Amino acid sequence: MPELPKKKVGIVACSGEELPEGTVTRLAALKVLEELRPADTVTICLPLFLAGGEGDRAFARFYPTIALDGCEERCAARATEMYSGTPAASFVVSDLLADNGWEPIYGCRKLNDAGMQAVADTAELMAHTVDELLGKAWSRRSGSFIEPETATEPQDAIEATCACGSGIPVQEVFIEGQNVTLIALSVIFQQFHDAGKIPSDDTADELFDMVKIYNPIPDGSDKTYTEILLREYSNFCHKEEVAQ
Amino acid sequence: MSDSTRKLNHVVIVPCSGIGKTYGTVSREAAYDVVEELRPDRSKLVALSMLVLGDEQARASVATNLVVTIDGCKLACATKMVQESGGQVARDFAVLDVYRNHRQFKPRGIAVLNEGGQQLARVLAEEIATVVDDVTDPSPEGGQNA
Repeated sequence: MPELPKKKVGIVACSGEELPEGTVTRLAALKVLEELRPADTVTICLPLFLAGGEGDRAFARFYPTIALDGCEERCAARATEMYSGTPAASFVVSDLLADNGWEPIYGCRKLNDAGMQAVADTAELMAHTVDELLGKAWSRRSGSFIEPETATEPQDAIEATCACGSGIPVQEVFIEGQNVTLIALSVIFQQFHDAGKIPSDDTADELFDMVKIYNPIPDGSDKTYTEILLREYSNFCHKEEVAQ
Repeated sequence: MSDSTRKLNHVVIVPCSGIGKTYGTVSREAAYDVVEELRPDRSKLVALSMLVLGDEQARASVATNLVVTIDGCKLACATKMVQESGGQVARDFAVLDVYRNHRQFKPRGIAVLNEGGQQLARVLAEEIATVVDDVTDPSPEGGQNA
């Protein structure tokens, strides 16, 4: 397996600056990321789904994601679904307030005591959800959970990160008349090259098997993908040799 | 006053919505400084998340007012999103640039900014307030978007 980012839970907060509930989302997300589950969570700025690159837009397919919204507009959940992938879970602070009978919260910039309590309670709820999601296997290929009997992904954790600007490694490849975004291709190529695998039919089959772990392959396209992966890998190896 | 020189009565402030870095927090604090304290009558905040979702009211707000964006990193999400939403950016501020000019105010902290971060936010807010003054009409009846 290539050294891709290990399984973590993605957190996308609306961070709405106009509402106290938006501030709750921001601080609760931060509490989970920094204090409660730093090794198991990663975040991305919501606007990067549009302002960033393909790697940013792959976020919610790569990581099972919790969307945390301040109000019924549900900007984080809806935008994540529109531009990245379906969130694995989502919460709305205004709903939590109503459902749990929390005191009214005030202060966009500086929350009142009830607001800070809402931050703590929301963060705990999210941390619990992180644990639940990590207990399930997530397919980066399909962007959905895998049934328990076919679960194969490791659940190792590394230090918490903000995903801004780093993104998921992706590459566009022209296949069957269209540009297709393939996740992890550059990492896989690098690993094969480092292992001394020369471009060949056997290597092409191995590449295909590895690439399809992370990417959906349309039915009937195995041969085409294998051929194109071999071509792209040959180009990659040539560039590596020139660079050396 | 001609249409081309007539001033607005509001400027929209759109800060970075980042939660993972100190500079994002500085951008937000500066925005609050402007809309709550320095120019509360002539500036208003629009949340970036609303623009990402394509909220009609948020898009209309940036499309019909001059906008000041504040970006926390080089990815410049705030500026890009305002432009994508049809808004006219009167001035785009980058927190890092402001810090380069005021290195005595080193920001630290994300949930809570240190003193240096708060001072940096204040300096930035004062620069933004100057822009607001330049493009708005302070008289109660003035402004083409009154």
